[in-house]
Amino acid sequence: MKSRFWSLTTILIFLIFFFFMILPVLNLFTGSFQTQEKGAFTLQNYLSFFHYPSYWRSLWNSILIGLISAAGAMIVGVPMGYMVSRWNVMGKSLIVTLSTLPLMLPTFIAAFAWVILLGRGGIITKFLQTWGIHIGSIYGYPGMILVFVSQLYSYVFLMTLSGFSAVDESIEEAGCSLGSSQLRTFWTVSLPLVLPTILSGAILTFMSAIENFGVPMIIAQQTPNLVVKAYIEFTSEVGTHPGMAYTLSIFLILITMASLVAQRYYLSKRNFIQAARGKPKVKQLTPGKRLLASGIIYAFLIFTLIPFFVALVLSFMEMRGPVFYPRFSLQSYVYAFSRSARPIFNSYFLATISTLVAVLIGVPTGYILTRRKSAYSNALDIVIMLPFVIAGTILGIALITFFNQGWIVLTGTWVILVLSYVIRKMPFIARSSASILYQLDPSLDEASISLGVSPMKTFYKVTFRLMMGGVVSGAILSWVTIISELSSTLVLRSPSWSTMTVEMYQGVVSDDLGKAAAFSSIMIISTVIPLLLATKYFSKDKGGGILL
Amino acid sequence: MSIQIVNVTKKFGNLEAVKDVTLEVKTGEFFTLLGPSGCGKTTLLRSIAGFNQPEKGEIYFNKKRVDKIATHKRGIGMVFQNYAVFPHLNVFNNVAYGLKARNFSADEIQPKVSRALQMVRLAGMEDRFPNQLSGGQLQRVAIARALVIEPQVLLMDEPLSNLDAKLRVEMRSEIRELQQSMKITTLYVTHDQEEALSISDRIAVMNHGVVEQMGEPWEIYNTPVNRFVAGFIGTTNFFEGTLISEQGGQGIVQVSEIKMKVSAHSPCVGEKVSFAIRPEAFKVAQEITEAERSCFLSLPGRVNKVEYLGFMTKYDLELCRGLSVKVVSYDVLPQHLRKTGETIELCYDPQRVLIC
Repeated sequence: MKSRFWSLTTILIFLIFFFFMILPVLNLFTGSFQTQEKGAFTLQNYLSFFHYPSYWRSLWNSILIGLISAAGAMIVGVPMGYMVSRWNVMGKSLIVTLSTLPLMLPTFIAAFAWVILLGRGGIITKFLQTWGIHIGSIYGYPGMILVFVSQLYSYVFLMTLSGFSAVDESIEEAGCSLGSSQLRTFWTVSLPLVLPTILSGAILTFMSAIENFGVPMIIAQQTPNLVVKAYIEFTSEVGTHPGMAYTLSIFLILITMASLVAQRYYLSKRNFIQAARGKPKVKQLTPGKRLLASGIIYAFLIFTLIPFFVALVLSFMEMRGPVFYPRFSLQSYVYAFSRSARPIFNSYFLATISTLVAVLIGVPTGYILTRRKSAYSNALDIVIMLPFVIAGTILGIALITFFNQGWIVLTGTWVILVLSYVIRKMPFIARSSASILYQLDPSLDEASISLGVSPMKTFYKVTFRLMMGGVVSGAILSWVTIISELSSTLVLRSPSWSTMTVEMYQGVVSDDLGKAAAFSSIMIISTVIPLLLATKYFSKDKGGGILL
Repeated sequence: MSIQIVNVTKKFGNLEAVKDVTLEVKTGEFFTLLGPSGCGKTTLLRSIAGFNQPEKGEIYFNKKRVDKIATHKRGIGMVFQNYAVFPHLNVFNNVAYGLKARNFSADEIQPKVSRALQMVRLAGMEDRFPNQLSGGQLQRVAIARALVIEPQVLLMDEPLSNLDAKLRVEMRSEIRELQQSMKITTLYVTHDQEEALSISDRIAVMNHGVVEQMGEPWEIYNTPVNRFVAGFIGTTNFFEGTLISEQGGQGIVQVSEIKMKVSAHSPCVGEKVSFAIRPEAFKVAQEITEAERSCFLSLPGRVNKVEYLGFMTKYDLELCRGLSVKVVSYDVLPQHLRKTGETIELCYDPQRVLIC
């Protein structure tokens, strides 16, 4: 009975992923080899891809921007992680909290704010022009790299921090005792030990950067990447080429899949870090140096948060067309609430429903992965990894194409939005549940049963209670990221199911900057408040939950 | 409450972890399953607890068959190797957990928990959470939690193996005292032979899923039934040789280049004999009396290694080429201490030879 329940649950989860992810994505794959009208086999899409520079350049742009962003994240994140781990810089937990914020806040708000500041008619650009200083264009590579490094560096920073904090002190002491200087020990012992962890963080940065849709839509302009190009080919008013969109999607999936394989199977096997017995020593800096190191770190943290302050401030300013006037006004909010109240409701409604469903499926999945190990659970482990390699835009295109006709028509409904959110967020919930369960000793259940509590009640009284903190913080993180989801939403929404992100994006595109700022601010507040609550009440797995 | 285990077999795939084991734990007895890791002792304990279902055999508590009854209805108390103290409950609620499951009222729970905590010397710690406790304290909570429900049977799965050596010795005598004062039938699993000898009324030595020998601690130590038991319990010197003469229950065995005396039921002359002598069965040098010297064969041994432990000295002695024995001497007078390379006379009572 008990094992049948879990077998049925496993099959159900498989079916959900098969119908709502694997089949639609396979459909993209076959679609990329078919002609648009008759569906006959063709290689035309792939031939065009290599023939027209606008296509293959988008692949090149994706890879190059991903690599530069990952390198940039390492340049910032590695020294910062080392300093926070090994030096007595001030307010370490504050640093960690502030560094996770950019990962949670919508990246396209950062892109929007930087355009307001440094774009063609930007506030800083104009100010500098009055002094005769001309800065280069922010559009294209510089802007994207600026946004990606400042918003995604935390993947590398947090990984480096946990890596250097987990190197057993005695291993470094062994290096020194064998006659190696401290600097040499760092290069020959500590860094090689932590390097796989750092590279894992860099791969996460790389993947997030190339899957990102909002930032290049706002700031890339002449250098679109694969995601943007696929979106344009799919939705263009000039005449769509769905086959080409599928082909571009396949290339993107191949890159992300290769990155994930590298991370999961190559780097994770080289993970030498074990639970440290002796915590590494924290170097006591002289007061001056301590102030300097802390100052540099906080200056950078503030820099990464500037866009969000800017969006907040602008939302309270008076607007005339695309121009802000430095006077306090609630005009943007009045406009947002009166004209676009529905999208605000939609965002909250969709995020809440999707999170609930993701938890409902994700927690049992985590349980199956850890406590019901079998060949099926291993397969499930791989299946739930797939959403990580499928960018939101691509999943959106896949779902809308697949459910456009046939026995189930979902295109244009809110259900399809929920589906795409659940597919993308459920793996996070499953992973975080699994990692909690890994740490829970199975003999806790047995102890409860031996004390006369039935297995069902034990699950509720022990296992569930112990998991709850982690599940709730995982759910909050999912909720927050769904609120700020743009990529698949923009593809899947219908006029009556628009969301805050879509409204904000359209505000940017149509130069309705007040509306964009107002929606940005509502999103920032909707993100920051739950996150602060989560860190306050469930501070135990600070930051860890958002990483793979 | 007694426990009867009748022909129990438990398989994991093709591996028979427990093979046709039959044993009885008497009411109020402290019974220990002792054996190396993987010998099936924990599997058997978990079958009794109901955490696994044996393929064959029956388990009875006081003549009442329990092996088809769910764990939570068996009325057991269990103590786990890694404590398994609920991290989300404080000490009081951990101990009260089983009482609440039995629907005791708050008024009844309070004094019961207090008494249980007093018993394990944790009075005043009610509000602490597990992460504020040491390993020894955690195990005390686990013991109090198992005892407070007044179980019919107490099952303990290597409860001391996660503690450090000194605490382990302290805790085992505490466990023994608690068990004696409550007269509770206890089944204890350990791989530590010293622990088993010191704490148990009876011991079952297990290996490869079968019970090799069952008996009181002194029986297990002094009359091991086979080579495995002799080797697993304590330190032993094994010898193999040929019986060259036999007279009045005393035999002479040619072992390598030397002759050794053995006593009792030896086989026929000319046959192979294998036997064992404990290190402390040997007497060395000054400890040997004139009577012993004349009665028993004495042997010369060259000192290969000395290990001075204060209250005793361990010697590795070479009797002849390729034949070394471990010997323990409690003669701690400094002038009697021998050095490497010296020769010592040693002697043993053939009665203390274990034929195996």
